[in-house]
Amino acid sequence: MMSRLALNGFVALVAAFLVLPILAIVPAAFSAQSFIRLPPETWSLRWWGAFFHDPSWRLTLFTSLKVATLTTLFAVIAGTAAALGIARSGPRGRALLTGLFLGPVVTPAIVLAVALYSMARATGLVGTATALVIAHTMLALPFVVLNVGVSLDGLDRRLLLAAAGLGAGSLHVFRTVTLPLIAPGVVGGAVFAFVTSFDEVVLSIFLAGPTVKTLPVRIWEEIRLEYTPVVAVGATVMLVLALSAAGAHRLLTRKAR
Amino acid sequence: MNAVGYRLGAAALLAPAVLIAVLAFLVPLARLLGLSFSARAGPFAAYAQLLGDDIYARVFANTFVIALVVTVVALVIAFPVAFALTRLSRTWRGVVFACVLLPLWISVLVRTFSWMLLLERNGPINRFVVASGLAPEPLSLLFNHTAVLIGMVHVLLPYAVLPIYAALVRIDPGLLRASEGLGASGLTTFRRVLLPLSLSGVATAATFTFLLALGFFVTPALLGGASSLTLSMLIDGFVSDRLDWPLAAAASVVLLTAALAVVVVAGRFISVGAIAKGHP
Repeated sequence: MMSRLALNGFVALVAAFLVLPILAIVPAAFSAQSFIRLPPETWSLRWWGAFFHDPSWRLTLFTSLKVATLTTLFAVIAGTAAALGIARSGPRGRALLTGLFLGPVVTPAIVLAVALYSMARATGLVGTATALVIAHTMLALPFVVLNVGVSLDGLDRRLLLAAAGLGAGSLHVFRTVTLPLIAPGVVGGAVFAFVTSFDEVVLSIFLAGPTVKTLPVRIWEEIRLEYTPVVAVGATVMLVLALSAAGAHRLLTRKAR
Repeated sequence: MNAVGYRLGAAALLAPAVLIAVLAFLVPLARLLGLSFSARAGPFAAYAQLLGDDIYARVFANTFVIALVVTVVALVIAFPVAFALTRLSRTWRGVVFACVLLPLWISVLVRTFSWMLLLERNGPINRFVVASGLAPEPLSLLFNHTAVLIGMVHVLLPYAVLPIYAALVRIDPGLLRASEGLGASGLTTFRRVLLPLSLSGVATAATFTFLLALGFFVTPALLGGASSLTLSMLIDGFVSDRLDWPLAAAASVVLLTAALAVVVVAGRFISVGAIAKGHP
């Protein structure tokens, strides 16, 4: 059918539009010159060397990884517990709590950034990793709660009753029945939390300081000045991490079927 | 475990997350609200300044129009894509889904930066345009409304596709076949059967896209610059350049109110749960 062909052709174009432009940053990172030209006239690893040998760029990468790891830890623990707590709550409590945890998702990032920046200034936390971790955890929490919640919804309660009926204490039931069954949700939530933190730009711009700065913040600052291909290297590092996370998520949440 | 133990257990489980949500979300926002009334010239001075000035009015209008246009364009592209997804074979559906979901993993900064590289004066698009003779000199594709629209549609498209797909997938294909079997043209079937049944998905997609578009900061800031000011960029300017906290807070409250208004109006048509499940 002609219209079916046309539709599929359109979809192919849209799919290409979604994915291909993002890849533009990759060849840019291999430019030999000190300006970006796509595609590069001469290819070189020069700016990759510049990125990984520059202590300030390395520090931003390390800070990003550190903050993301801590965020994931706190978000997974608090979020998983919260999802379990929500499952035990009545319908009104459930609605209220869902609203509270989904709040950051519908609030514009710039508003959150300004609000947190103001509080950070008042508490002397501007430019600290603490502020970044708190902010990122707040942003990552909804993803963990949601992911674990969906896993919990799919949990057959009779399994829990059966375990209890066989004499297992509630902690034992949690450890041996609930946890393994919600593991995909927890792991999925963990991966989302990590990427949310690593990718985060707006709140981090305001909360960062001269010594505590994440990779996206450094890239943001550089883009607004005269930038060299080293910025494209930083962006490619972020791209590689994001794609790795997407792959890891696919792998890790497929296992338990 | 008795009922009281159960309840206490639930409270203990919820405590850490609620603490984070209260301290890092509710309290800062409440403080911001208070700050908006703290201008030296009077409690409502910041709002008066914001809502009375013509320049700011134009920024509000620009923000609103951009969000609206982006939403409409995204929906127009997303609907056929979502529809095609329901009809593709499993392998192709997987491929297209991957293309839709993959960008969501990548930072908005990286996605926007890639458009900067593509749209700049000496970028590959302009070099192609000049070399092929489509235009005598490079087109101004960056730092204007066009660039902002392209960038924002690109970033928001996945958010438009997913809810529409979720709604379309629930429609019984037998209904469409019945419509065509009764002699309706493709357009009529679309208009009178498919579209009404998919309305909740379209409404969710429109709401989410518009909401995100209203609050966008990175994309308009990098792709539009000074020639396409949005409310979020204004707020940034108030804080970073002018250190005018009451004004920044007031502008934030205005933006937040607009976002809440969208959520409330849309909430009458769709459930929060639907938005939540449509979100990756």
